[in-house]
Parts: sequence; structure tokens; C-alpha cells
Amino acid sequence: MLEKARSHKVKKVIERMGKKLNRQVVGSLVACVHCGMCTESCHYVLANPDDPTFAPAYKADQIRKIFKRHFDWTGRIFPWWVKAQDLYVDEELEKLKDIVFGKCTNCRRCSINCPMGVDFATLNRMARGLLTSVGIMPEGLAAVSKDQWEIGNQMGVLKEDYLETLEWLSDELEKEMGDPVARIPIDKMDADVVYAINPREIKYDPRTVSDAARIFYLAGENWTMASDGWDITNFGFFSGDDELANTVVRRLFEKVIELRGKKLVLSECGHGYRSARCEGPNWTGMDTPFAMESSVLTMLRYIKEGRIKVDRNKNDLPVTFHDSCNNARSCGFFEEPRELLNLVVTDFREMYPNRAENYCCSGGGGAMSMSEYTPLRLKAAKVKADQLQATEAKTVVTTCHNCVDALTDLIRHYKLGMKVTQMVNLVSNAVVVEEKVVAPVEVLILRGYKILVVDDEPDILTFLSAVFEDQGATVVQASDGEQALDLARQEKPDLITLDLSMPGKNGAYVFEELRKNPELAATRVCIITGKPELRRLIYDRPVRPPEGYLDKPINEESLLVNVRKILEVAHEERKLN
Amino acid sequence: MMSGTLRFVADDLQIMALTFMGIVYILRIRWLLRFKPGQERQAPTGSPDTSSFKGIIYSWGNIAMPWAMESTRQKLFFYAQFVLFHLAVAASITMSFIIPYAPGLIKPMVLVRGLQGLFAAGCLIGCYRLYRRLTNPYIRQISTPDDIFSLLLLMVWLFVSIGAAPNRPDQGEGPLLIYFIMTAFFLVYVPFSKISHYLYYPFTRYYFGKSMGYRGVYPIKRGPQPKPNKV
Repeated sequence: MLEKARSHKVKKVIERMGKKLNRQVVGSLVACVHCGMCTESCHYVLANPDDPTFAPAYKADQIRKIFKRHFDWTGRIFPWWVKAQDLYVDEELEKLKDIVFGKCTNCRRCSINCPMGVDFATLNRMARGLLTSVGIMPEGLAAVSKDQWEIGNQMGVLKEDYLETLEWLSDELEKEMGDPVARIPIDKMDADVVYAINPREIKYDPRTVSDAARIFYLAGENWTMASDGWDITNFGFFSGDDELANTVVRRLFEKVIELRGKKLVLSECGHGYRSARCEGPNWTGMDTPFAMESSVLTMLRYIKEGRIKVDRNKNDLPVTFHDSCNNARSCGFFEEPRELLNLVVTDFREMYPNRAENYCCSGGGGAMSMSEYTPLRLKAAKVKADQLQATEAKTVVTTCHNCVDALTDLIRHYKLGMKVTQMVNLVSNAVVVEEKVVAPVEVLILRGYKILVVDDEPDILTFLSAVFEDQGATVVQASDGEQALDLARQEKPDLITLDLSMPGKNGAYVFEELRKNPELAATRVCIITGKPELRRLIYDRPVRPPEGYLDKPINEESLLVNVRKILEVAHEERKLN
Repeated sequence: MMSGTLRFVADDLQIMALTFMGIVYILRIRWLLRFKPGQERQAPTGSPDTSSFKGIIYSWGNIAMPWAMESTRQKLFFYAQFVLFHLAVAASITMSFIIPYAPGLIKPMVLVRGLQGLFAAGCLIGCYRLYRRLTNPYIRQISTPDDIFSLLLLMVWLFVSIGAAPNRPDQGEGPLLIYFIMTAFFLVYVPFSKISHYLYYPFTRYYFGKSMGYRGVYPIKRGPQPKPNKV
């Protein structure tokens, strides 16, 4: 008898399945007794009571029957007896795609309700990975994965846009705090905290970044964000593509290592937290030399350690909490958010069921990027809508961006009139800002830099020196042009602040001499003058213009902002060279 | 006094069937162990009170803790059926050893009646389970011929066990002969059927519990959960 022809994709799927099997997966494939106890744990089943194809055991069986037919004894010999089934054509893979991507969010609720310990979510992810490996996956997921492969983040945010956004968020924070130190440091070496985020925050919800920056600043944290390798989301986790999953986590880890960061703090993203914190070391095989934690834990610690003060009366509307499946059911992260919530809100109402037994927001497993399944997703969200409504809360808090989007969508769909927010927003709102924040030693922005201050007015000299020294810089003073040139040659400062009107060799002459001297030409110069009309005199000279130009009178804030910018640019340029 | 035929089916045949089952199981376990176990390299998460070890113990003990899972917590009657059914099967397996080797242990009539009651209950539960499997659309959809045959086999076997429990070959060897022949068939068939789930239970539960304990999910923690009005 002629063997039925099998498509290339089907061949590959079967072949790769053999390679993906590990003991846990095989255990889950052979152990199901079809008792049906998992059925009602699934939100898809609850929303589709008349369709048995939504049952977790049925969905798992669509993967199991391929396994049985090709890898299990009984199924190979008597396939019909155990409903083992072979695959031949691509259409069968397409059908499987609709099940593993469209009818399951990998929330793992059925896994914890299976008496046999069958981990269906793991099987489902494996099946997704097999299909993805032959290019069968929802289009939206494929597009996002492509961005993550090629641009380095799932929303295709370009580096310039990312840095620009952080820049204006910094400007706003600085303005709000009235402190030039209140900015978002980028690529700062040896920081205690490297903060990584979900690209959605940059693109659609920058308030979460500025709120986090505000909290880090008020806590006096020595922190930074990375210029790349900052995306904690992972579409390889959703698609089951282990190679992408590994690459994404590796980017994140390697950046922290490059910056010599002591701790990677992950913003509120459920799957991002799980991918990096709980799965990343397994995918990459890396032993990370830094600690990792959720920003929720970081904020909680700040409050407990008294680094920030909060007034929970500022959040006085009734609030409920939605546990992200990835946080609660796969990483055991459910008590800390509650502890934090109780510190920053006055009326916290528990949802039922909760913690590891909570229902999925319906947007998990990448469902928010699979628009073809949106009607199904919203229908399945009914149980979550009921849960939310039963609390009679006005606001639902969650520690996951995916959940934020899915909850917002279902709240709109079911007309619940609730607001969705995240922990960082509540903490930022509750935080008590002292009159004047004294920057601790850890945030000395000029530590390690040597600055030559040149001015003939002793008061100005003292003022500039004090400002720079307060920020950790080593200061050398010169009161005239000649002395300035001598000290510049001897001390090789990182920056020279230069007055123009001085007796003897004036500032313009000194500046030109500096630029012409090959040894000193690269030294950064910031002109500080009480005669703005002399600007032309400087810029018309046939040498590279100064890096900064400030008019007197000068205040501490603008001085520090400008000097810091000049030094940061210099640092970047040195790195590039 | 047992006849030679009965002695053969109660003793030699059982040993042969058991040996066969043992060999198949050894091969099965070897096959399972050929697959590498997944590792947890990350630092543990969740409450510091939990650990892999606690997770494993909790996971293994899950079977005796109907409150541990929502699926059993909300179906206590179903859970009670499960307990009774499995107790009946375990009792019948034990009886297949007692009758040929230590018949005195089940001589007291009260014990015999107790066993018969248990087997009858198990058989009735089997009937109900079969009915459920054939009528509940969710269960029917996932049921295989093996699922149905295994259940049918156990039901009939438990029914036959009722007749074998008094162990009175002097009153006719028929019930005992059927019982032991069925037991032997059962032993030979089991390794290829879903009834083997008891072999996999320690594996799946071990690995799931180990991971969930390490990640701080097991033991499942439920906070004060007021019963809401609408859900």
C-alpha cells in the first residue's frame, strides 16, 4: 500500500516534536486520564458551555494524538484504540493553530486544577513553537516577533525615539522636582539598579516610566536605564520560539552585565517578569551575576526602609487587584503586590478567586496581538468581567501591561465603567514629596570628573567650585588666563568652565590656545560669561566651538544640567571611539 | 480445597501476569527516563516558606487534599466517588493476593460483607462514570475506546469481586475462577491502557510539584476570600 504523502511542514513538525520532548512534557502527554476535572477551570469553557472543543483536555488531546501516533507504544500499534492520529496536510496544522493560539492563553489555570499534574500550558507552548517553526502562527504575533528580532523591541521603537522620550520625561521630572538631578540616567555604569521596561510604556504609557523615575529619584536610588537591551517583553515566550525567547532575554542580561548593574528591576509586565526572572536563566543557560526583581518589590522595599514616604489617603477610591497569571501562577508573586497595595490605598477589595487561582484577564499568551481571535477573547472574558463587577471597585490594579490592555478592552466591552491602573501609578500618586530633596551620595552626578574653573571673580569661583564639589567633582581653580592654561596642561581636566572677560590673557584667547593644543583640543569647554555679546567672538574663531555657553547670572540647576549633558556626551563619544 | 485449575489461575497465572506487567512497566519507566528533565536554573521565587521539597510533598499529597484544588473543592461528591472507586480497586487487588496466600485474613463474615459492599459501591460508581463518559459532551468528546474499555473492565471486575470475596470454592469455583482469570487479564492489559496512570502520577506530580514549589506557587495559598454575590 502506498504511504500517504505528508507535507513538508507536517514532516518538520513531527520531526521537531521529537526534539522538544523532555520528561515533564512526556509525563504530561501520557498521564491524562480524561477525567474532565480541568474543564471548568478554563475561562473559554465557561464562556462557551455548549462547545466541548474548548475543554483543556480536548485541546491538549490535539497535541497528544500526534505524540501518541509517533512516539507512544499503544498509539503506534493501535492508533484507533487511543485516538492517536497522524497529520498529513498543512490545513491540519492551521486547525491546530486556531486551537493552540486562539483557544488558550496559556494561563495555566487548568494545570493547577489537574489531579494528575498534567501541565497543559507547557504542552500548548510546545505546540505553538512547533507551528511557529514552520511559519504557521497568527499574523500579528509574527509581525511583533519580527520587530523583536530585527529592531530589538516588540513595538519597533527606534533608539532615537526611545532616548528622546526619556529625555522629555527627564525634563518634566526635573521641572516638577525643581532639581537638575531629577533625571533618567542612561547607561550609567555601576548603578545599583538597571530598570528595564515594556516598550508599550514608551509608546503608549510613558506616565509609568516617569512615575517610576519619580520614585527612584525620591528614594535616592543609584539607578539607570539602558540605551538598548531594555525590552523585558518576550514574544518568543508567547510563540513558543525558544530561539527568539533566548535571544531577547540574552540581550537584556548582557546589557546589565555590560553596565555592571547590581540588580535588574523589571517593570510591571507579567510575562516580561516571568520570561526574564523565571524562565530566562533556563533558556539562556546563563548564571546571571546580578539579582532580578519586580519593580513592585522594589517599591515595597523603599517604603519599608523609609526611603520614600506614602500617604494612602491620596488613593481613596475602592480598588481591586487582578493577579497576572504569569506572576501568580508561574512565579508565586502574589503577596508582595497586596502588601504594597495595602500601604498605598485606603480601600482594597480582594477579587474572588484570587492569587494562583485567579482567572486570566483573557489577554494572556500574546492574545492581544492576535486580532483574528478578538471576538473569542472578549467572549471568554465574561468570567473576568463578572469577577471585576462583583468587587464593586472603581479601579482595578494589575502588575502587567498585557492585563492592562485586556482589562481595559473587556471593561469597555462589558461596560463596567472601571479604570485600570498599575502599582507604579498608585505609589507615585501616594508618595509624599518633601520640601527639598537632598540628593544622597549615591546620586552625585559629577563623581569621578575633574573640572577646571576659570574666573577672575572670587565669588563666582567659589560658587562654581562649591556646586561642582557638592556633586562629587574634583575642582581646580584658576583666576586668570595664564594660570588656566598652565593648569589645563598639568591637570588634564574633563571640563573647563571659562570666563571671557579676564585681565591679561582673556577667555577668548585661552579658548583658542586650548583648541590649538593637540593635547588639550579635546577638552570640553563651557563658556560662562556676563557678556553675552561676546558669543560671536568665540563662535567666529577658526576652531571647534565650545561645548557649552552660559550667560551670567547663572543658577545652580541650569549649570548642573548643562555640565552634566556636556560630560555625558563626552562619555558617549569616548565609548563610540 | 481448591482444584488444580483454580490453584493455577489464582497462583501461577497471577505470577506470570504480574511478571509480564512488571517487565512492561520497567521498560516503560526506562523509556520515560530517557527523556531529559527540564531544569530550574533561576533563583527561587515566591514565599521563602516554600521549596521544591515542600512542593513535591504537597503535589503528591494533592490526591488526599480535596480542598487543594478548585476542581475537587467544588465537586466534593465527585471526589468522594473517586476515593471510593479507587479504594474498591485497591481492595480487590489486595484480595487477589490474600485469597491464594493468606485466606485466613478475610475469613470474618463482617469483613467479607464490608468488602462486598465496597466492591458493589465501586461497581455502581463505575456505572455512573461510564454513563457520565457517554453522556457528558465534554467527556464524550475526549473519551477513547481505551477509556471506555478500561472503565468497563474495572466495573465488571469489581462486580466479579463481589462473588469472589467470600472465598468459598467448596460452594462452587466459578466466581473465583472468573475473578482470577479477569485479574490476570487486567494485569496484562493495564500497562497498555490508561489504567497505568498510577504509574505516571508520581512522575508528573513530582516534576510539577518540584517546579511549583521552587516558584513559590505550591502549597497553594488562598487568602480570606469572602463569597461574592455575583460570581
